[in-house]
Amino acid sequence: MSETVTGGVTQHDGPESFRAQVVRRTWARLGARIGIAWIAVVALCAVFAPFLANSHPLLMRRGGVWSSPLIEHLTWIDVSLLAAFGGLLVAWWLRRFRRTLPLALAGVTLVVLISYFGVNPPAAVIYEQYRTGLASETIETAVFAPVPFSPTDRSRDRPRSLTAPDAVHLMGTDEDGADVLSRMIHACRIALGIGFVATGIALILGIVYGGIMGFFAGWAEILMMRFLEIFESVPQLFLLLMVVAFFGRNIYLMMVVIGLTSWPGYARYLRAEFLKLRRQDFVQAAQACGLPVTSILFRHMLPNGIAPLLVAASFGIASAILAEAVLSFLGLGVVDEPSWGGMLNQAVGPGGTFAPWLASYPGLAIFLTVFAYNLIGEALRDAIDPHLSRERS
Amino acid sequence: MLLRVTDLCTTFGDGPAAVDGVSFEIASGETFCLVGESGSGKSVTGLSLLRLLDGTTAHHPRGAAVFRSPRLDAGTVDLMRIPETEMRRIRGSRIAMIFQEPMTALNPVLTIGEQLMEPLMLHLDMDESRARARALDVLEQVHMPEPERRLDEYPHRLSGGQRQRVMIAMAMACEPDLLIADEPTTALDVTIQAQILELMAELQRRRNTALLFITHDLSVVAQIADRIAVMQQGRIVETGTRDEVLYRPRHPYTRALLDALPSRMKRRRGGHHADVSHGGDALLRLEKLRVYFPVYRGVLQRHVDDVRAVDDVSLDVQRGRVLALVGESGSGKTTLGRAILRLVPSTGGRVRYAGEDLLSLSARQMQRYRRELQIVFQDPQSSLNPRLTVATTLTEPMAVHGIGEDHVERVRLAAGVLERVGLEPRMLDRFPHEFSGGQRQRIGIARALVLNPSFIVCDEVTSALDVSVQARVLGLLDELRVEFNLTYLFITHNIDVVRYFADEVAVMYRGRVVEQGPVDQVCNRPEHEYTRTLLAAVPQFEPAGEPG
Repeated sequence: MSETVTGGVTQHDGPESFRAQVVRRTWARLGARIGIAWIAVVALCAVFAPFLANSHPLLMRRGGVWSSPLIEHLTWIDVSLLAAFGGLLVAWWLRRFRRTLPLALAGVTLVVLISYFGVNPPAAVIYEQYRTGLASETIETAVFAPVPFSPTDRSRDRPRSLTAPDAVHLMGTDEDGADVLSRMIHACRIALGIGFVATGIALILGIVYGGIMGFFAGWAEILMMRFLEIFESVPQLFLLLMVVAFFGRNIYLMMVVIGLTSWPGYARYLRAEFLKLRRQDFVQAAQACGLPVTSILFRHMLPNGIAPLLVAASFGIASAILAEAVLSFLGLGVVDEPSWGGMLNQAVGPGGTFAPWLASYPGLAIFLTVFAYNLIGEALRDAIDPHLSRERS
Repeated sequence: MLLRVTDLCTTFGDGPAAVDGVSFEIASGETFCLVGESGSGKSVTGLSLLRLLDGTTAHHPRGAAVFRSPRLDAGTVDLMRIPETEMRRIRGSRIAMIFQEPMTALNPVLTIGEQLMEPLMLHLDMDESRARARALDVLEQVHMPEPERRLDEYPHRLSGGQRQRVMIAMAMACEPDLLIADEPTTALDVTIQAQILELMAELQRRRNTALLFITHDLSVVAQIADRIAVMQQGRIVETGTRDEVLYRPRHPYTRALLDALPSRMKRRRGGHHADVSHGGDALLRLEKLRVYFPVYRGVLQRHVDDVRAVDDVSLDVQRGRVLALVGESGSGKTTLGRAILRLVPSTGGRVRYAGEDLLSLSARQMQRYRRELQIVFQDPQSSLNPRLTVATTLTEPMAVHGIGEDHVERVRLAAGVLERVGLEPRMLDRFPHEFSGGQRQRIGIARALVLNPSFIVCDEVTSALDVSVQARVLGLLDELRVEFNLTYLFITHNIDVVRYFADEVAVMYRGRVVEQGPVDQVCNRPEHEYTRTLLAAVPQFEPAGEPG
């Protein structure tokens, strides 16, 4: 060989993987940044909700003894969310996601388990005690969270249902007398949770089902496709209504039902991608090398076919949030726990009274969140679009 | 002069100039060929002249293209300066363009007639009936069979060659002064290519149209060119008449290009392929191999017919030798190669490898033979997984087949193989998109080699490569054949490569092998009618002088 093959490699700073490329291109879009920023705000509110809005003081001195009722009243969900957030931060800080991820996951699971069995906040809660205590000076000092009301604090000491926004209640109160701002902050959890869990369930189902359809063509695919079409004809909202009617108003059940009804779209996407990929030479080469089916499916085909699924998923999260909001608006949402849709429901009272602050703030939050996911989805779709990334010739 | 281009420059964004100070002239009725390898800027030059590049990224910092046409109101215009509205009047009417890919160049939802008539009605102000008459006329001129019926048909009914005829008819309909043809025959089979080239020459003679022919194929250039410009990295390195450039090249790059032609290269292992006895030690023997693709029709999806991609093919490949499988697109040669490796299911027959019938083995038993039989693909773009590094691509098959003790050793072995195919071990951590086409093809070869195979199916391995890269890859394949005692089934459509590289050749036509035998015999004394047609269609070009 008389030649040396050193040149010809495209010159840039080190190799840029497809993932890095997609992240860079997505981030380059203003829409994506706005969307991510809003989701980050919602996520931070969800994680730190008890520290942002709580009737329990962060610190208080009663009879010369310092204590923190807020921390004493943290539930296992609060602790788990904080632990997950901390794990994510540590993993990000180490910048080695791939290696630390299993470790971080194990750590977070451990904390969740321990907190589920170990964290036992007092069952009976009297929110008024701090306000009356401060008034009667049995509590000497108290430091409150920025919004000194819990979402379920009905202000029994001074009933104020359906008051318009004022200096005490920045976004007014609902018909039970609970602070709207506090409920808005705590509702972030349901909004985020329903989106991620429902879409996560749908994604997993869709990937497995669609992958099998796309890889094993023939009779299996025809049968599975027919089954999928039958499943697609089930109307999600009516199924949800029925499930709520039969099994009660359970948020986790709702997540599962939304997930179970929205996977066919993902399965279709992946099937189409796999049908295309199956004919690609590198998949044929993998077969010619005798690689096992699992490796061909998950190493060679899935990473190349998953990009459009992620785009669809970001739109899917938005529609899951909307589905929950619709249910809550119809009065079939979660009991007691705050949710944006449920607050919308209260905007028009039984007597025909209209509380604009109960319509505008949660409505705006739903709108912004759905819009943010759509912005991210849009940017993601542009980033993986081969027509935009084609090489100049 | 019809067109005088001086110091034309084209840049994309902030990148280096894709076309860097190109100057040439084209006279009326002349065929001017712009030759170069991929990335040399020849296509960009053609597109720049019509200002068809994306205006948001492409810029022309300097240069002029003075176009003089008697049928132009202004007489003389600078194509780089005139406003877009005026440019639109010139495009398609005074200067027309034909593109490489006939499959995508026609709009699938409009009929042939509609697409032909639109520019006529737009540029020549014809009414519909006159435009239709003219459209029919040009279709007849490009020798389209049944032109009357074709006018009302949609593009999908036409073959690739017929589509390219429609494209030419479209370009010629307004009787342009200059026709820019960007690799118009590259996607076509040789027999179709010969017909199209003849057609273009005929139309050019009749209308005195000038032709700017952009191509990488020197043997086509030798057939049609009056004058030639050779481009390298955005610059023209040599311009001259056909005979000057092809037979008395002055620039070293032109000489290197000519030397890289397979017809020019020294015959591999000159002469001694008659030594090996025939029929003795067949490593691979195909016995009446059939691959049918069923055709289903109707609501009940009844099995009505088969597409006989491979039909009763029997072949022997001797150990350590190269059997070339030639044929045009759709002849079933690629399907045959994949059927041997069981990448497509066979309908019947036997594939005997070292005596064992591969088709009768279970998937588990076949696993052992996956090491022995390998394949290298045509398209270096799609044959490597874009999400995996070279190291992963190479070491994963090794791990499956238990080659190497641990990951570290496998990476070491992979580095060795990579070095053997002419790449550097430090490239192991890179992703496929960071390599050029030729380098990717080397990685494809390395992937086949890591399993120490005895038999490799080379499926059009050099078709997507430039001639100089093709020459090096062919050289590499030959070295490897000797070093590892490999046997190749070399699938190709390029007769020149067959002549240079193969020991024996089998000619496929519509799923059947119509002729097989030693290369000399088949190429020089073809017996079958189809083989003769095929060989006659290959552009003949033998550069003078001894290979340098």
